[in-house]
Amino acid sequence: METPRRSTIPVDFPLILATIALCGMGLASIYSATHGTALFQRFEKQIFWDLMGILTLAIVAVAPPRFFHYSAYPLYGAGILSLVLVLLFGKTVAGNAGWFGIGPFGVQPSEFAKVTTIIALSRYVSESGTTLRTFREIAGAFAIVGLPWGLILIQPDFGTGIVYWASFFFILLWVGTDVVILLTFLSPVLTVLLSIVNLWLFLGFAFGISVIFYLVKKHIGFALLFLVLNLSAGFSIQYLYDHIPEHQKARIAVFLDPSRSPRTSGYNVLQSKVAIGAGGLTGKGYMRGTQTQLRFVPEQSTDFIFCVPAEEFGFVGVMLILSLYGVIVFRGLRIALRASFRFSSVLAFGATSTIFFHVVVNVGMAAGILPVIGIPLPFMSYGGSFTITSMALVGLLQHIHYSTAQTK
Amino acid sequence: MSMAFRGNSRRKTFVGVMFFGAFAILGYRMFQLQFFEYDEFRTHAERNSIRCIEREPMRGLILDANGNILVNNQPIYTLTITPFEFREESIPLVSSLFELDSGIVRKALRENRGTAFEPVKILRDLTFEKIALLEENRSLLPGVGYIVENRRVYTAQTRMSHLLGYIKEISPALLARRGPYYKPGDMIGYTGIESYYEDVLRGRKGYEYFTVDARGKVIERFEQGKADQPAVEGADLVLTIDMKLQEYAERLLRNRRGAIVALDVNNGEVKAFASAPDYDLRTISQAMTAEQWRILNENEGHPLYNRCSMAAYPPGSTFKMMLAAAALQERIIDASTTIPCPGSYTLAGVTFKCHGAHGNIDVVRAIEYSCNVFFYKLIFKLGFALWAKYGSMFHFGRPTGIDIAHENPGVLPDESYYNRRYGRRWNKGYLVSLGIGQGEISTTPLQMAAFTATIANGGTYYRPHVVRSIIDRAGKGKQDIPILQERLPLDPEVWRVIRKGMFLVVHGSGTGYAARTSSVHVAGKTGTAQNPHGRDHAWFVGYAPAENPKIAVAVIIENGGWGGEAAAPIAGAILRYGLLGPVVPASVTDTTEVEAAKPAKAERPAHILAD
Repeated sequence: METPRRSTIPVDFPLILATIALCGMGLASIYSATHGTALFQRFEKQIFWDLMGILTLAIVAVAPPRFFHYSAYPLYGAGILSLVLVLLFGKTVAGNAGWFGIGPFGVQPSEFAKVTTIIALSRYVSESGTTLRTFREIAGAFAIVGLPWGLILIQPDFGTGIVYWASFFFILLWVGTDVVILLTFLSPVLTVLLSIVNLWLFLGFAFGISVIFYLVKKHIGFALLFLVLNLSAGFSIQYLYDHIPEHQKARIAVFLDPSRSPRTSGYNVLQSKVAIGAGGLTGKGYMRGTQTQLRFVPEQSTDFIFCVPAEEFGFVGVMLILSLYGVIVFRGLRIALRASFRFSSVLAFGATSTIFFHVVVNVGMAAGILPVIGIPLPFMSYGGSFTITSMALVGLLQHIHYSTAQTK
Repeated sequence: MSMAFRGNSRRKTFVGVMFFGAFAILGYRMFQLQFFEYDEFRTHAERNSIRCIEREPMRGLILDANGNILVNNQPIYTLTITPFEFREESIPLVSSLFELDSGIVRKALRENRGTAFEPVKILRDLTFEKIALLEENRSLLPGVGYIVENRRVYTAQTRMSHLLGYIKEISPALLARRGPYYKPGDMIGYTGIESYYEDVLRGRKGYEYFTVDARGKVIERFEQGKADQPAVEGADLVLTIDMKLQEYAERLLRNRRGAIVALDVNNGEVKAFASAPDYDLRTISQAMTAEQWRILNENEGHPLYNRCSMAAYPPGSTFKMMLAAAALQERIIDASTTIPCPGSYTLAGVTFKCHGAHGNIDVVRAIEYSCNVFFYKLIFKLGFALWAKYGSMFHFGRPTGIDIAHENPGVLPDESYYNRRYGRRWNKGYLVSLGIGQGEISTTPLQMAAFTATIANGGTYYRPHVVRSIIDRAGKGKQDIPILQERLPLDPEVWRVIRKGMFLVVHGSGTGYAARTSSVHVAGKTGTAQNPHGRDHAWFVGYAPAENPKIAVAVIIENGGWGGEAAAPIAGAILRYGLLGPVVPASVTDTTEVEAAKPAKAERPAHILAD
């Protein structure tokens, strides 16, 4: 019979401290990667973004109890609205039309909409009586994610779009949806990619997945529905693809086949692997990594930030960073497991898995084991909207931790 | 109730294991890279790394229909500086050797700080003497080198400046728009077909990977060149242009401002495309200074401006055929319907004059005499909406789709256009001038030529085009560009009536007698574009032979005044030359060519007061 239960401590210190430590690592890395270059202003800007992020974290954390439950759908609506507005009035940065310019800062609604979509999906799957076993319920969840995803696809920003489906997959996995149905529902995402690569590949996949589904589930109605879903997704993308400007086509082609643009993808991975490997066990020392200091790795303050500590602090530094992410992810899981309400549990897991997905894909990309899809590293990569979004996710975890502590 | 959602504990264990497993894999991968493969990567990093060198492909050539080269490439030497190897102390020596302002060097280096290992292009077109000087001073100038680039060379007898267009170093704005393929210093097509076919002509850059040491010295090919991507040469273009006719058209426009567009009426091929004044592409392909650009840009004749497809003028009376065709097709009138012309037309107290009192006049005669009253009344009978509908059908107010960059769609006003412009305060009076092709309507010479070709061939609209085929030697070989055509829903009888009128314009007692040539029958129509800033612009559109049309032409002479005088003789000469070539039949003494070379001084018949 131990005395005061630990769960009644209102602040999850490991979570918050790991977050702040990673922000510090991020600043140090951006400094090392940009000092003496025209990009050095990014270091100063990132200090501002980190402060804004901490403010966001605090505001989200102290929001009234059940605030996110009640405002889930209005927030979602605001997210969708911002995605529509950015398509109409946004500006284009590096071929991606998803930016609002506010003074010297660029804002990407597709980042913020990640949070609002996760909240709305969590609310939807926790409505009383929802079992996520019927087709209609899963279709509803699918639509909640599909709408913002479609809007982001138009920009086009494929990397960010994929994060939405990762969140969808993890949340439905958490609430116990049938895995076969879940994977089949995600098949149109793959169809869309295949249909751009090759017509026969896409048709084969679309029919194949339906046949497999029928064989496993013996439900002809679902099987036909998935076939229609896959075929319409594939064909409409083919139609769209034929009607978009050349530079957007080029973006898609590079995404599908990075070797086509060795200057931006294949080359990056090569250099990034050299940077990581050359770090060795203890690294070359801060500001002394040649790959970093000689600017061999492009995008080093954004997507490939992980190379900087990997080269300069070596395996020891890498393990420290991965452990810090581990702390965040496993504290997040703990919060999700202990939450008092289904909504809080799902939301906590949604936030955690989104952070998890970013970390794994980004680090995997830098280490050359996952494709380069341009997903940044939470708390470390340079970028305003993304920093604030990541901090808001931690804020949600702290918010749920606090309300759980109150009810116990 | 609070525990209700914890039902599926197996699923949660699975998620936990999955998360842990993912971190474990990442950790192992790091160990693999940083422990097992450490030696290999450390050597890489020390020696120092892999560098990617771009190889520029040869830009595609432009050929005439007979396969003669019009635009070729010539290698030139370009001075480069690789910032990482370069030392600031070398700047004075570089600037004195190459007669360069040291500010230019500093600026170029500052702008390329992000890519310290890539050579920055500093100065194009070095002479052999300069290259020799560079070689002599190599040891004093680390990081200074040269690369071979290609420059456009123009080998044709004619200029074709607006048709071919020029290539130029990409501007920051264009760089931002065209995406990651280009980088600063690259050449890109800016105008004409160089711009329209940029993606075809440019080919694809190649990339070669080298292992280099910390000072940027190449040690070896990375992986024996297995990762390299060879450059792909650009494809060649074969033009539809009749080179002799083009040369003749440019000659006729010398010392004038205006444009000539000639089309093959049976497939939309552009036979001549001349705009004057023009400029010499040769000077642009040399390294032009900002000052030279400014002078060219600010020249009051606007030589850079492509008058064939970028300039839109009110079509004047040449637009009367459009109104006549619409009215005939809609059965508002037929060939025998007459409308009285008392010599003027009064609407709401304002009187619009005609060139004479034509009495009861039918549509053929109205075209022949260019009777204004007939068409003032006709546009009211037809109605504004139908007028705009038919106008759009003939591609007025929208691009013809020609394969030359920056086409102007012109303006075809309709009700919504006037509502936008004047609110609800416009009235029928605005339409009166549209009836005779004046007012807010404007068309390009290209649109008029395509329209005339459609009349001539009996109602098929061909998309005008200047490239007949693409020769992709690296890929698909020779491919013909498909001819795009649209059959317009008008009765053959409509065209016959219009063509009869146009024949009489030239060979009857009409306004276009000056387009007559002794060897072939020409049909056409004169026009005058009212110009509030000075003398009116002269139009003539026509085709020949009248019996079996082959070529259509549109001519505009800026400030030429009356179309029948300034434009008609030029159009006649072009049509005759296009059909019969420069050989003058022995039995005929044709002086058109000589006369057209200077402003024509044709005598004006008494019954014609205006065009």
